[in-house]
Amino acid sequence: MPSSEWVRPLTSQKPASAILEIDRVSQVFQTSARKEHLALSEISLTIEEGAFVSILGPSGCGKSTLLYIVGGFVSPTRGAAKMKGQAITGPGPDRGPVFQEFALFPWKTVLGNVMYGPRQRGVRATEAEAQSRALIEMVGLKGYENFYPKELSGGMKQRVALARTLAYHPQVLLMDEPFGALDAHTRTRLQNDLLNIWERDRKTVLFVTHSVDEAVFLSDKVVMMSNSPGRIREVIAIDLPRPRRRNELLLDPRYQKYVVDIERMFDESEEAGAPL
Amino acid sequence: MISPAALVKRTAPVLACIGLLAIWQVASLGLKSDSFPTATDAVRAIPDILGDKESLINILASLRRMAVGFGIAVLLSIPLGLLMGRSRAVSAFFNPLLMVIYPVPKAALMPIIMLWLGVGDITKTLVIFLGVSLPVIYHSFEGAKAVEEKMLWSGAAMGLSPLQCLVRIVLPAALPEILTGCRTGLVLALITMITSEMIARQSGAGNILFNALDMGQYDTVYAMIIIVGAMGICLDAVFERVRTRLVRWSEPQFDMPLSFS
Ligand SMILES: Nc1ncnc2c1ncn2[C@@H]1O[C@H](COP(=O)(O)OP(=O)(O)OP(=O)(O)O)[C@@H](O)[C@H]1O
Ligand SMILES: [Mg+2]
Repeated sequence: MPSSEWVRPLTSQKPASAILEIDRVSQVFQTSARKEHLALSEISLTIEEGAFVSILGPSGCGKSTLLYIVGGFVSPTRGAAKMKGQAITGPGPDRGPVFQEFALFPWKTVLGNVMYGPRQRGVRATEAEAQSRALIEMVGLKGYENFYPKELSGGMKQRVALARTLAYHPQVLLMDEPFGALDAHTRTRLQNDLLNIWERDRKTVLFVTHSVDEAVFLSDKVVMMSNSPGRIREVIAIDLPRPRRRNELLLDPRYQKYVVDIERMFDESEEAGAPL
Repeated sequence: MISPAALVKRTAPVLACIGLLAIWQVASLGLKSDSFPTATDAVRAIPDILGDKESLINILASLRRMAVGFGIAVLLSIPLGLLMGRSRAVSAFFNPLLMVIYPVPKAALMPIIMLWLGVGDITKTLVIFLGVSLPVIYHSFEGAKAVEEKMLWSGAAMGLSPLQCLVRIVLPAALPEILTGCRTGLVLALITMITSEMIARQSGAGNILFNALDMGQYDTVYAMIIIVGAMGICLDAVFERVRTRLVRWSEPQFDMPLSFS
């Protein structure tokens, strides 16, 4: 529910309930006829409704795979993921992915891409268009409505992908390194925009990233993963006040300590993750 | 305003045709052979053919068979190719079959088909259908196979069913490749059309051509070659227009706005 309130109501409502439950999920990939690769090993994680949770870990530790399992695009070899108590058996509009590769529809314009979800959900054309135009403006692409994806830069495509997913109002956003390919300036801008959107809508966000700063700046919880096999190493609650302002936070010793601690852990898990 | 480059591009095909006719004219004047009429004689024979009611009926019959064969082939081949590209089971079933049919010249099957279905429209249309089907299936298959999986996942997350994904994501995403196949198919349709009429002589443009050849009316033979060639060029040009319009979003040379002011 959109709310103009900045701070999260803590006492007025019942304690936040789990929206996603990942229960001892393992994923095995068949790499060749007889070889198997254990990408995820016994992952268990509970995510509360409205929480912003980042998944941090070295390359190849299975972050994307975990996201695909929650999205219902990949079914786990063992274990199960649940959304609001229901086992996830396939993709659905309650979970909106934003992929590392954008995956825009190249035959649709920016507007056409963003309108696609609402139209599919049965929203009337005029209404879908109005909403989509507002979203496009929000992600800073006003004036580009009639451009085709191939006419956009990487950062612009990424913003269209975000708007396209937001347009059909998923309850959970599954974002796979959405800002990985962007320059530092655009990245900062989009992080702020994402936080603003999140603070307004309080969607649950599962956010995969390589960047420790980004994870600490955005999240309520940072899930540290380690490599070979992909495991959860630690879950760190980020106890920093919201709304978060970048210029204030960078000077905050608590923020700095989180970043330093997690960076150290990251280095360790990267070493531990050397292939055997 | 037309730039010099655009002017050259526009007039190039016309100049090429005129050049070809000029070379022909000079060569035929030099050779002075009965079986090689001059270009002007051949061109002069064209209005006679097109003015003759029976010839016109023949040519229109050819075009009708070609349109029907091409149309049915495209309508069946695109869904089949797309399904093959997205489903391992479907491609495992059809691949061996198509691999056997692929290298066989379709006209070589005509005697058998004639034996079963006679020398009429059905046989000829069927041969055209077979000729067009394979390139369209092949290109649809390749196009569907290349569709990025994350694009389908995005659609599924919006609530598209697998069938809707096939029609609303795989089809448009593979369209450039599909249309490339259709363009090859169109040329093959023309070729198989003439070949089929050469084998089962009963009506059609090919029939006029080969009858004239038998009777030594070489002007008519060459005039018919020009007519059939012109038909091919026109059909291809129209198709190319439609194609570029449909896949403008994928063409790399689509004029990029260089400034946004
Ligand atoms: N379809 C697949 N078949 C075989 N192996 C796979 C497949 N998908 C992923 N893997 C393997 O599983 C492991 C985890 O991959 P995944 O893409 O989830 O990593 P990641 O943490 O997202 O990496 P990155 O940060 O580089 O994106 C990798 O070792 C990868 O090689
Ligand atoms: Mg990844």
